[in-house]
Amino acid sequence: MNQEKLKIGIYELTGCAGDALLILDCEKELIDIFNAVDIQSFLMAKSDNIEGELDVALVEGSVTTEKEIEELKDIRKRAKLVVALGLCATVGGIQARFGDREEWEENYKKVYGDIDMTHTRPVQSKPIDEYIEVDYYLPGCPIEKEQFLNFFTRFLKGNPPEKSQNPVCVTCKYNENDCLLKKGVLCLGPVTSDGCGSICINHNLPCIGCWGPLDVANRTAEFYLLQEKGYDVEEIKKKMANFSGTKIAEFFKKVGKEKR
Amino acid sequence: MRVIKLSKENLFPFLEVISEKTGLWAPVRKPNSGHVFKEIDDFAQIDLDYTRTILPPKKIFLPPSFNMFKASKNNYEEDFSHVSPKILFGIHPCDIHGLLIMDRFYSYVFDDPYYSKARDNTLILGHSCWPDENCLCKSTNTHIVEEGYDLFFTDLKDSYLVWIGSSKGDDLIRVKAELFDENIAEKDIQNFIQWREERDEAFQTEINFSAMPDLMELKYNDTLWEKLGDACLACGSCTNVCPTCNCYNVHDKPALGEDSSQIVRCWDACTLENYSEVAGGENFRKKRSDRLKLWYTHKLQAYISKYGKPSCVGCGRCIATCPVDINVKTVAHTLDGDKVDSFWNRFHEEVRK
Ligand code: SF4
Ligand code: SF4
Ligand code: SF4
Ligand code: SF4
Repeated sequence: MNQEKLKIGIYELTGCAGDALLILDCEKELIDIFNAVDIQSFLMAKSDNIEGELDVALVEGSVTTEKEIEELKDIRKRAKLVVALGLCATVGGIQARFGDREEWEENYKKVYGDIDMTHTRPVQSKPIDEYIEVDYYLPGCPIEKEQFLNFFTRFLKGNPPEKSQNPVCVTCKYNENDCLLKKGVLCLGPVTSDGCGSICINHNLPCIGCWGPLDVANRTAEFYLLQEKGYDVEEIKKKMANFSGTKIAEFFKKVGKEKR
Repeated sequence: MRVIKLSKENLFPFLEVISEKTGLWAPVRKPNSGHVFKEIDDFAQIDLDYTRTILPPKKIFLPPSFNMFKASKNNYEEDFSHVSPKILFGIHPCDIHGLLIMDRFYSYVFDDPYYSKARDNTLILGHSCWPDENCLCKSTNTHIVEEGYDLFFTDLKDSYLVWIGSSKGDDLIRVKAELFDENIAEKDIQNFIQWREERDEAFQTEINFSAMPDLMELKYNDTLWEKLGDACLACGSCTNVCPTCNCYNVHDKPALGEDSSQIVRCWDACTLENYSEVAGGENFRKKRSDRLKLWYTHKLQAYISKYGKPSCVGCGRCIATCPVDINVKTVAHTLDGDKVDSFWNRFHEEVRK
């Protein structure tokens, strides 16, 4: 029986460990999870970890050191499938905002000066798909229980779900919230991946985009709409960049330069 | 049909007796937000001074997301937990018309039991209203109701005139007939006529719906659609809030540790990117402009050609909701040759052109 179970590894690169923690926080389902699969490696949960061949590797966090690049490549070699777990793995995280190399170097110097790193050398924060091929993405900061369990269960049963292409607005309307953006509040719901349950708007707070940028969003219209609502260009850019990592770098290069 | 009178102080006593064994749903104001239909546990929550709820009453008959059934290898268990006897009080004429259109959709070829069971279990107690600048129901001729309700309350300041629209409505009245007055005085009739005239004059927005099928046909390739597509955020809100939008998606939610799955049904919206995606990854309406064209064909053309009236009931929700001002008013007025004040127009003029 044991041989038939999928071999799983759960890994953490640079992030807050919130996604790994969330898996452990599925308290009611934890026994079922550990029964259903063979968890080979999960540093947060156990110490007898085996680093061998895997069916699935779940990787949290962004890549920020040379050592992590090696680790990640090794994981990819050993795993049949790789899942990016959470915002940092998916887009590079808050630590990758704007994705501008010069700006990163400048900030790095400001914080660390000219010291020589001995353990490993830092690199600019990037999502894992900058280095390896990724099979599935689970966005979220952190991911959400229901989303994880649904993904995990469907995966086990051989029918993994597609990544949602809906914006937060869809669930926001399911929850019958008055639109904050319409009222002039800087809400990033239309350009953000759905899945959080529109939790902020349910509490009358605008979406700040923590589930990461929606691939198919109309960012240009959102950008000009917010300008028309009276927001400053730099403020809009800052808000849009916070949780977008390197994924919308092209947008930032072009936006504001449209013909006026 | 019969009309009787109810003095205002008798309204809550009436609602109290009829809702003893049946859930009462009515409009309430959400804190920091708009109005919503909600199950009432305290009559003081009911707020009849509302224009439109954020979501239309379709949510009561088909919730945004619900379990249809649980399936396992050898078993199949239907789940009708959203169905229970209900009284829906305070619903406006446009929304009653919206439900009548929904009835048609969900029984057109096959009966949809998830809808019809909930519908059959719900009594409709309508209420009159006063238009704001976004109400279009006079143009859609849905500002008056002739069918689709059990009782209808017209607010004449001191009292209600109550229309009895069905035998179930009549049964409700009989539960506490002494609260009502059978005698309608000449003055009541005069008050009603005056109310109706004043209400009809209060509309601020008009759309020439009868011209729309022709204009949609003639302007099928107009640059308007590209302008709209350019500004549309593809948020799906217009579709979710529209009382006559009825599309849905179905997905599996397998249970961990057992061999079964919940089959979940949730609202879908043709304005969203992957609505028209089919197996193999092909997407027939990848462009936002094509998706909006579909939406407006539904509202302004197809239904009119088939049933002689638009599938817009004039509730104004798309106007109140769309962040970039793409709505039945700005689109219909543009089709009719007007230049409208809207974000999508300004976006085109100032950024795109
Ligand atoms: S409040 Fe924000 S998330 Fe909700 S519909 Fe409006 S823009 Fe979308
Ligand atoms: S910021 Fe946006 S995506 Fe993040 S939890 Fe709040 S509503 Fe959801
Ligand atoms: S198209 Fe707009 S005004 Fe017409 S019924 Fe739908 S939401 Fe209401
Ligand atoms: S037309 Fe407006 S409400 Fe509808 S999807 Fe586009 S932006 Fe959203």
